[in-house]
Amino acid sequence: MAVVTFSLKDFAANGISKDSLVDAIPRIGMEVEALSGEEIAIDITPNRPDLLDFTGLVRALKLFSGKTAPKDKEYVLQHEPEIEITVTKNVAKIRPYIAGLAAKGIDLSGERLKYLINFTEKLGDTYGRRRAKFSMGVYDLDSIKGRLTYDASADGRFVPLGLSGEMSFSEIVERHPKGVAYGGAISRDRARRAMMPFLSDGEKILALIPITNSESTKATTETRNIFIDITGTSRNTVMQVANLIACSMVDSGADVYPCRIKYRDAEVVSPELAPREIKIRGIRISKTLGVSIDGNQAISLANRAGYFSAKYGDSILVYVPPYRLDVLNDQDVIEDLAISYGYENISPVPVVGFSDGLAEDLREFTDSAALHMLGIGFSEALNTYLTNERVNFDNMLRPYRKDDVVGIAYSKTENITMLRTSILPGLLKSLGYSAHERMPQRLFESGSVFRMDKSRLIESSHLAFVSEHSKAYFSEAKGAVISMLGHLGIENYEIKAFSDPAFIEGRCAQVIAQGKQVAVFGELHPAVLSNFGLEEPVISAEITLIDKIEYNI
Amino acid sequence: MHIYEAKLLGALKGGSAGSLEELERSLGIGRDSILWAMENLSKQGAIKIDKRKEYAVSLTDEGSRDLSGFPEEELAASLLKSGRKADIKSIKDGIGLMWAKKNGWVTVSGDSAALTKEGESAASGSKPYALKETLKQIASGAGAVAGYVTSHDQQFDSLIRRKLITLRERQAISGISITDTGIRMLGSAPQDDGLISSMSREVIIGRKWETQKFKAYDPNEASEPVYPARLHPMHELINHVRSVWLNMGFIEVSGPIIESAFWNFDALFSPQDHPTRDMHDTFFLSNPSQIDIGDIALLGRVRSMHRKGWGEPWREGLAKKALLRTHTTSVSAHYIKKLSNELESSYPIKIFSVGKVFRNESIDYKHVAELYQTDGIIIGNNLTLANLKDVLTRFYSKLGLKPLFKPSYFPFVEPGLEAYYYDEQHKSFIELAGGGIIRKEIAKAMGTSKSILAWGIGVDRLMFNFLELNSLIDMYKNEVDWLRKRAELKI
Repeated sequence: MAVVTFSLKDFAANGISKDSLVDAIPRIGMEVEALSGEEIAIDITPNRPDLLDFTGLVRALKLFSGKTAPKDKEYVLQHEPEIEITVTKNVAKIRPYIAGLAAKGIDLSGERLKYLINFTEKLGDTYGRRRAKFSMGVYDLDSIKGRLTYDASADGRFVPLGLSGEMSFSEIVERHPKGVAYGGAISRDRARRAMMPFLSDGEKILALIPITNSESTKATTETRNIFIDITGTSRNTVMQVANLIACSMVDSGADVYPCRIKYRDAEVVSPELAPREIKIRGIRISKTLGVSIDGNQAISLANRAGYFSAKYGDSILVYVPPYRLDVLNDQDVIEDLAISYGYENISPVPVVGFSDGLAEDLREFTDSAALHMLGIGFSEALNTYLTNERVNFDNMLRPYRKDDVVGIAYSKTENITMLRTSILPGLLKSLGYSAHERMPQRLFESGSVFRMDKSRLIESSHLAFVSEHSKAYFSEAKGAVISMLGHLGIENYEIKAFSDPAFIEGRCAQVIAQGKQVAVFGELHPAVLSNFGLEEPVISAEITLIDKIEYNI
Repeated sequence: MHIYEAKLLGALKGGSAGSLEELERSLGIGRDSILWAMENLSKQGAIKIDKRKEYAVSLTDEGSRDLSGFPEEELAASLLKSGRKADIKSIKDGIGLMWAKKNGWVTVSGDSAALTKEGESAASGSKPYALKETLKQIASGAGAVAGYVTSHDQQFDSLIRRKLITLRERQAISGISITDTGIRMLGSAPQDDGLISSMSREVIIGRKWETQKFKAYDPNEASEPVYPARLHPMHELINHVRSVWLNMGFIEVSGPIIESAFWNFDALFSPQDHPTRDMHDTFFLSNPSQIDIGDIALLGRVRSMHRKGWGEPWREGLAKKALLRTHTTSVSAHYIKKLSNELESSYPIKIFSVGKVFRNESIDYKHVAELYQTDGIIIGNNLTLANLKDVLTRFYSKLGLKPLFKPSYFPFVEPGLEAYYYDEQHKSFIELAGGGIIRKEIAKAMGTSKSILAWGIGVDRLMFNFLELNSLIDMYKNEVDWLRKRAELKI
């Protein structure tokens, strides 16, 4: 999600009061993030890049309130292309596509220029995936001479925006704040970054793409004619974004002039602003919302969502405005009709048809084991599955073998490196927090543990318990384990002396049933206790409830 | 008064104790008994127990290495040797340079680094390096009592930030003293008066009760508190949530937490370049690094759904990446596929799951990396937004909440909604659930033409409504005292 901030004054100038704004924002599916006396911050969902734009947001709000209605052919090309951009082969492997448009007679005074720049930057950061997928630049049209070339080069020099001295491309990438931030967006592939894309008008460099424009083409609040370029890695996306920008320009009262883009093998005109229509069956609308809606009502709902529309037999025909990049098919339009209708106005209707509830066996099984532990006086703890080899292995004096654990590739938190292979370390950590509380302290936990067996991933269900007090002896562990085996219905088992470095040698045992280990228990080794900051004896056991969980999917 | 209580009060009357160890030595009774007596007496206001946080400090591998010399010291020493100046590019150790600059030992102008006066005295060893002195002290165990220190200063914090030491925290008793109430109680300690004090076998079979009277007890005297063994509050809440779904006629299912990106993202129409698929938001795995999807036909359908919907190439390699699921909607996705071919009479099919989900967060008091979620789907004919509102309204009403609804966006539903409620106490809107009608492209790719309602609900958040909690982290520390004494969930 992206947060945009606008001045309340500017909404008021468009006839939108603070109260009506705060009321409408959630109803169109967005969220008021913060509100002060002068400003409002709004969280925009990623499907609606058009609302990152002040002009687009005002347009949507006015339509939603019914103050304006969409018109037929509202956003169409009125002029022939005046600008030509030649694309060289040098950009083909880095950032092959460009679109552009000129807007003449635009008013950038007051906050307007700031809003436009913020919009292009926010759009590039979010929808443009931090400019890697696409980015935009805004230029003073009158500062551009001659024909444009979209090219790439190992180096070049110009004065970046806001500076007074020339810098080379590589200096910009290494040292300029925008270069540091967006240098990586030139290409994922480091080797390809050797060639850097730029736009020039034959005389000078207009921009190092996607990093910064040149100072000499800077648009100011006095600029009346601007040029905007959109470059990126997807032809479809740059063309769509050009449409989105063009609509914003039209709504700002500017005259839009398209560009002719000359690729080596094709020529296209951007923006296209091609008309698009979607037919929606009336019955689909009612059946999706659960509310009966007739044709006329559907048209008025569509209008309030910005679709110019008409009845078409039992269906309605809606024209998708070119600024809507998210509308794939009728479902998306129906959601917009629902938004116009108001989610709060849809009355809940129960789902028809009887069904039996059924709890899952796996859960019932582990829950009954948990109840057994409560019955013998152990309280339940819950620890995280994520852990690290220090707690899971080193503190337990158990050997760590990287290949045998489920490893995390990257974590923001240093002490998260793997999924636990045992429940016991977590319980000992919990006891460590409570060293000075009343003894005995008895805890258990049941849940999953994970391991890799060669390249096979195995999730098991375990139950472990600990008991800490001055008379915590082997026999307490054994008694509790045997009572659990009884609960689990395991009758034929064998208890054998066992060696596990976490336990005192000679005071550890394993339980074998049907040839498999089902439990290990005993008195924990003093070194293990010290590692967890424990100062009283602790006995413990770890029992395998299910050796390999198989999901029924 | 119990004999241990009397002993403890007696000992404290002579002077406060600084630690449990001290009392153990002076009373000659076990720690368990002392803790029991302390708890009783503090409940009656007879003694005062002060607690504090203590820290066990240990050196990391890097910390042990740095004992012989910090990188900034080595840098200063090498600069001293090389005429107090060096080309910055020749300095390989960036960390050393950073700290040397910070300490004012080195100044950098352009490409050249120069040693300052301070740097010289550090390099020549004429002035000891405070940070290293602190590290040495820690290594020698100085300042620690039984391995624990009670405070950590700025030098400590620097060492932690540099990952040279680690701290482990615990709650500890720092002082025990007697109060006025305690002194009064001590004055009324028991004496032998020829009455039967305790019931015993001897009293019964020796018929002592015929000749001797029983000593009367003060019913208000302290008794040993009894704590039940209890489920963890999160388990209680999960069971409550489960019982609500079960009572609403839902079938419980579960699925793996280790998933392919395919089931967590691609099957749910999340575009392959979506920011949540970045390693900074999602835990991807190094072992296993890939999970095979198996079903080639399904793969083909999901591929064409993505190509058509997003107009971008779709890479199988990205879909196979192994990760920890970010939502339980992955389980719903599996079940939409699994139940795509049921008998017509079995619809509507209602399914729910509850389970852990994972987010790659920087953990602090507000953020945890593991959360619980509950997801549900209903597969049927002509299911509507009105139906979904009904399901979620019923669910939350059983938890005492009245949800409101607004539009929202998730790539896998259209229309999409968010359920939220107004928190009177905090005067703010709190998100409860996200959901909607599964996109028909997804249903089709999974092999069904039915309509499907789907939603996901954060469970942890709900805990704040039912239990007083400062942060989620506290809940997973499992402090025994808290587990024993916590309030019941107010559902």
